[in-house]
Amino acid sequence: MKLFFSFVVVLLLSTGIHAQKIFGTRNGKVSFSSPSDEDVKATNNEVASRIADNGQMTFSLLTKGFKFKLAEMQEHFNDQYIESTKFPRADFKGTIVNLKDVNFTKDGSYKVTVTGDLTLHGITKNITVNGTVDIKDGKPSAMGKFDIIMKDFNIDAAKVTQKVSAEINCQYQ
Amino acid sequence: MKNWKKIIFALFITGIVTAGAVVLYVYLKPHRDVTQEKGVQLSAQKLFDAFKANETEANTKYLDKAIELNGEVSDITTNQDGKTVVNFKTNDPLFVINCTFKTNPGELKPGQTIIFKGICTGYIPDANVVINEGVLIK
Repeated sequence: MKLFFSFVVVLLLSTGIHAQKIFGTRNGKVSFSSPSDEDVKATNNEVASRIADNGQMTFSLLTKGFKFKLAEMQEHFNDQYIESTKFPRADFKGTIVNLKDVNFTKDGSYKVTVTGDLTLHGITKNITVNGTVDIKDGKPSAMGKFDIIMKDFNIDAAKVTQKVSAEINCQYQ
Repeated sequence: MKNWKKIIFALFITGIVTAGAVVLYVYLKPHRDVTQEKGVQLSAQKLFDAFKANETEANTKYLDKAIELNGEVSDITTNQDGKTVVNFKTNDPLFVINCTFKTNPGELKPGQTIIFKGICTGYIPDANVVINEGVLIK
């Protein structure tokens, strides 16, 4: 009887609470490039990101983790433009606006619009990104592309480029 | 050739050589090689403790420095560009030291204790400390 009772309790608990499902990665990928200078191109493979089936998404990366082909360019990026000692991290926190179009339990490719706050170089701005969430074998991956205007984030890079095109590609576990 | 012509010619050649040297410097400057640097030796746990206690202070000590980290391997994965990644255990089950190898370290197993040397790029709260461009020491 006691066993039966506890069984019922467990059953009630497990059906009563709809657990939110969170997927994460510590090694997502973000790269950026300049449309005006092909040497301005870098990749970061240590992006910590989470996506939840309630539509919340977060991305955090360390600006010193961007790898350029040219060492000299990487040094300028860190020291003069992004000032990575003063601002070592960039963060994004947002939500999928059209969550109803995404079925996290069904494999497929879903178009999403994500809006939220991007903090970069010590400045926070609201941005909207169009991208896709793919579900494969129950695991999501997220892709998106957007432009970052340098002066929006108080980055003085006018000599090199006015804007960069950023690309996100995160495969979650 | 008159003297002033010689001078202009010499200046012209010097200019070209300097410009060439600058271009070569920018294009051929090698990336940082952690194997040529002496690393700060410490354990994965100690590195985590330092960042958790005071990120600013830990950044001045460890950010952009060569770190020789020892600790227990929690898991081994591959990043999206095929490089080997080892997560080191800390006493917080959700927090690791995330280390990316620039060269293939060979076969590693969870539970193994290893020493890894790489460059610390910083701290992501609630997730990990990142060290990359690393090599296996032991």
